Amino acid sequence: MRILLIAVMMLALGGGAQGQSLPKPMAAEAVLRAAVVDVIRPSVIRFDAVSRGLKSAVGSLCAEPDADGLAIARQEFGQVVVAYGKVDFLRLGPLMEDNRADRLFFWPDRRGIGLKQVQAILAEQDALATDLAGLKAKSVAVQGLGALEFVLFGTGSESLSGAEGAFRCAYGSAIAANIAEIAKALVAGWYLPNGVADRLQAPRAEYADYRSNIEALEEIVGLVAHGSEALRDKHLKPFMASAEKAAAPKLAAFWRSGLTMDFVRANIEGMRALVALSGVARAVGEKDQGLDNTIDFEFRNAIRALDLVTLPVAEAVADDKQAKALDYLVLVTGSLQGIVGEQLSAALGLSVGFSALDGD
Amino acid sequence: MWQRRAFLQAAGAGFAASLMPRQSLALERTALVFASAVQTAKGRYGAVLLGEAGELIASIDLPDRGHDVTISRAAGRGVVFARQPGTFAVVFDPAGQEAPLTLTSVTGRHFFGHGVFSPDGRLLYATESDFDAAQGVVGIYDATDGYRRLGEFPTHGTGPHEMLLMPDGVTLVVANGGIETHPDYGRSELNIETMDPSVVFIDRRDGALVGQLRLDGGLHQLSIRHMAIDARSRVWFGCQYKGAPSQSPQLVGYASMDGVIKLINLPNDTLRDLRNYVGSVAASADGNTIAISSPEGDLLVAIDADAGQPRLVQALRSGCGLAADGAGFVASSGMGELIGVGENERAPQHYDFQFDNHMLRV
Repeated sequence: MRILLIAVMMLALGGGAQGQSLPKPMAAEAVLRAAVVDVIRPSVIRFDAVSRGLKSAVGSLCAEPDADGLAIARQEFGQVVVAYGKVDFLRLGPLMEDNRADRLFFWPDRRGIGLKQVQAILAEQDALATDLAGLKAKSVAVQGLGALEFVLFGTGSESLSGAEGAFRCAYGSAIAANIAEIAKALVAGWYLPNGVADRLQAPRAEYADYRSNIEALEEIVGLVAHGSEALRDKHLKPFMASAEKAAAPKLAAFWRSGLTMDFVRANIEGMRALVALSGVARAVGEKDQGLDNTIDFEFRNAIRALDLVTLPVAEAVADDKQAKALDYLVLVTGSLQGIVGEQLSAALGLSVGFSALDGD
Repeated sequence: MWQRRAFLQAAGAGFAASLMPRQSLALERTALVFASAVQTAKGRYGAVLLGEAGELIASIDLPDRGHDVTISRAAGRGVVFARQPGTFAVVFDPAGQEAPLTLTSVTGRHFFGHGVFSPDGRLLYATESDFDAAQGVVGIYDATDGYRRLGEFPTHGTGPHEMLLMPDGVTLVVANGGIETHPDYGRSELNIETMDPSVVFIDRRDGALVGQLRLDGGLHQLSIRHMAIDARSRVWFGCQYKGAPSQSPQLVGYASMDGVIKLINLPNDTLRDLRNYVGSVAASADGNTIAISSPEGDLLVAIDADAGQPRLVQALRSGCGLAADGAGFVASSGMGELIGVGENERAPQHYDFQFDNHMLRV
């Protein structure tokens, strides 16, 4: 019955494919340039800008704690989560250096290490955690978005609107400063002369990372294929009900702030933009010219399903219609993974070799 | 994944397809030489047995993606293990006389794609994950009693991958890759910041830890995964680097039971072209040459075991599987190629299936 309902829903969501005139194929160089210039750099610049806003808002809250200041800091946090959702899947270059991905957002945290460590910092009033250098020396789980969410939204966060929240605020301020510093490093990394952006746009045999256009295109395609998989395995399935387990909404990222689905949407929109704006799915031969539309069609299906999930995640998993929409999202991410990782890869002449497909 | 487990239990031992009937004749005429897990042109999974000339002797269907194969002449059986985090292993009769037997991992464990038989063929050992505890274990199976699971012992690390039996017939060597995964989170790597890879030697008779070796020098993000044993009983290993992509640490080294563990210095251009990834390691028939592969870098490297230096470098797109063959090696690829490496002048062959990461020389 569940499968049937999902199938019905797919039909409902999938109606109305729009016939579009297909653009001309693009050269690999143009795809790689557009990926960097039109997608990646704007995404990290946006993340940097909102991170500075968050740092400023938390700093102001600490200087003058009140309810308005707390509300502003929480809003700014939401902006950062959304901006990070469009960066999180860009697992290449600067994000993968210096443990930045884990330092920004240690997730999944299967054993709740982060929560225990953050609670210990707050309980012990660990002064090292209020200093940027001291914080950076600590576990990745206490210095990023997950930790800051608990500070701003978790148990005891209402104390931030008064003087009794001074330590908590100082810790939050250090986390916000750390996030802003990492965001700044991402921008710097993507603009570094002879850095990853240059190598990705103009591969050469002597480079360690991108020796050819093929390898650079494999990276771009891999971001979406692996990103779809990671979205499903890290941000959807763990909290959803299945045949074997009940729903566990507290295993959802950002459940305390109610930003779970905002992050998921940002992730989907970010991947969609990478495919659409880079034109990677248009850089194919005549017979595969429909792939670009097929991929965007799946992204639109995902967004339609997201539109149906309007309740906080704890209530959404208990609502029949919204739980079905989440089930459908899981299906769509699997479909995207296959279309992009296999069909598009093959159409572009990339290595879809079985061994190289994923590591082991 | 758990639905797969339930399905396998329901399907029972008869699930895996038997050898193709017409090919039982081929078995009588030729010696089985190579075995590998594969993906078919239709996207299905299986394992193939090839003869000396690369001819297909037999194939076995698998319920999902397989990884490595081990064969015991003493037991008269081979086993293909599910790729991690798979929950099945299929025991097959290379002679095609008996129906395959599908083993299912016990609750709370999954296979890691590798295993070995005891020298007498009476016991099968498999690397497995106790995933809730994030600890590796060696599962022990009684080959004389329907592969009943007798128990397990710890690998003293997380994410155990390849396991070999040392020439003494008693000591197991296990590569603890160090990476925590959990079926609830797919292939997500959960502990990259704190991973702790090691090579361990374990007495298979009682599970006692004989020794555990770790690389020093800030290399805790260098996942030790695949191994082969040379003529001097040194265990050569190949690594996959999980740290910053701008770094290129050495990826190949050896460990020994007297406590030595070291990386060899591959030339910069060779190291660069491995792209921080070694997919398999094999020893030549005489144990004096070690071959490594990188399907990420489309590269095969043969290393003189005594000198610790590359003897030759050869390109093979998506090349990963390696096995000793005559004076050199054969290599298989994810594009369905089987080629000779080094002194092996075997003509390249192409198949309509794709080879998985490992090739076994029987």
